[in-house]
Amino acid sequence: MVWETAGTILAALLSASLVLVALLVVTVKDLVYASILLAVLGALTASLVALLGYYLVAAFIIIVYVGAAVMFIIITVSMLGGGGLESRDHLKGAAAASLSLAVLLIVFLSYLRVPEVGLPLYVDVAGLIDRVVVDYLPVIAIILVALAATIIEAIAVARRG
Amino acid sequence: MNLTLLLIIIAAVAVASVGVYGLTSSRNFVRQLLSLEVVFNAIILLIAVMLASSPGVATILLVILVLIVSGEVVVIMALVISAYRSGKSLESDILGEEGV
Repeated sequence: MVWETAGTILAALLSASLVLVALLVVTVKDLVYASILLAVLGALTASLVALLGYYLVAAFIIIVYVGAAVMFIIITVSMLGGGGLESRDHLKGAAAASLSLAVLLIVFLSYLRVPEVGLPLYVDVAGLIDRVVVDYLPVIAIILVALAATIIEAIAVARRG
Repeated sequence: MNLTLLLIIIAAVAVASVGVYGLTSSRNFVRQLLSLEVVFNAIILLIAVMLASSPGVATILLVILVLIVSGEVVVIMALVISAYRSGKSLESDILGEEGV
């Protein structure tokens, strides 16, 4: 009971920080700082995912997403010097955000059922990896080839400029 | 109802809306990419919560999602570099006028 309450308090703190950092990512003027804040957002997301019990996914988010993808964004934006001036249409943005907030809240809190499960969740990682390697090896191979092709395409696009 | 899951759903929905705000209010390519990544973080949380009754499926789905988004980031940043070299700006309006 004590652990459940502590987990809920931690989730509330992390959720509030998540929303605050997300707001900063889209409003901070300097794009370099916005990119760095995106790394913080990724770390907060990983923390919440770990709190739910998905430790493997949390590690994956930190290593692959924050450690590689977001670092790539930070380095590129720093090299470009922030990208110059930025024009904004706050009214259009606020209208779209309000609409999406209303629709998502209605969909997730009214129509979809929040699962009744105990936290943290138990994921049998060893069994999962065995299943993936035995049953889904061709799928994994296709994904890896597609990712390699994507990186080659990205290098070609960047060199063309 | 599990209060922790409910809190995470509400936070994820709020974060997704913040991302939509950034995506629609700005004309800057990098800002739009950052906003898209904010929405992606919200989607990770929503999938993690909504598939909590089958955590094995959720784990595989989330790992594949992270891989695909990392690839997407690489391609979009390559396009950003290419556009910046051609037009010296990241504003979609200016690049459109110059025919980049």
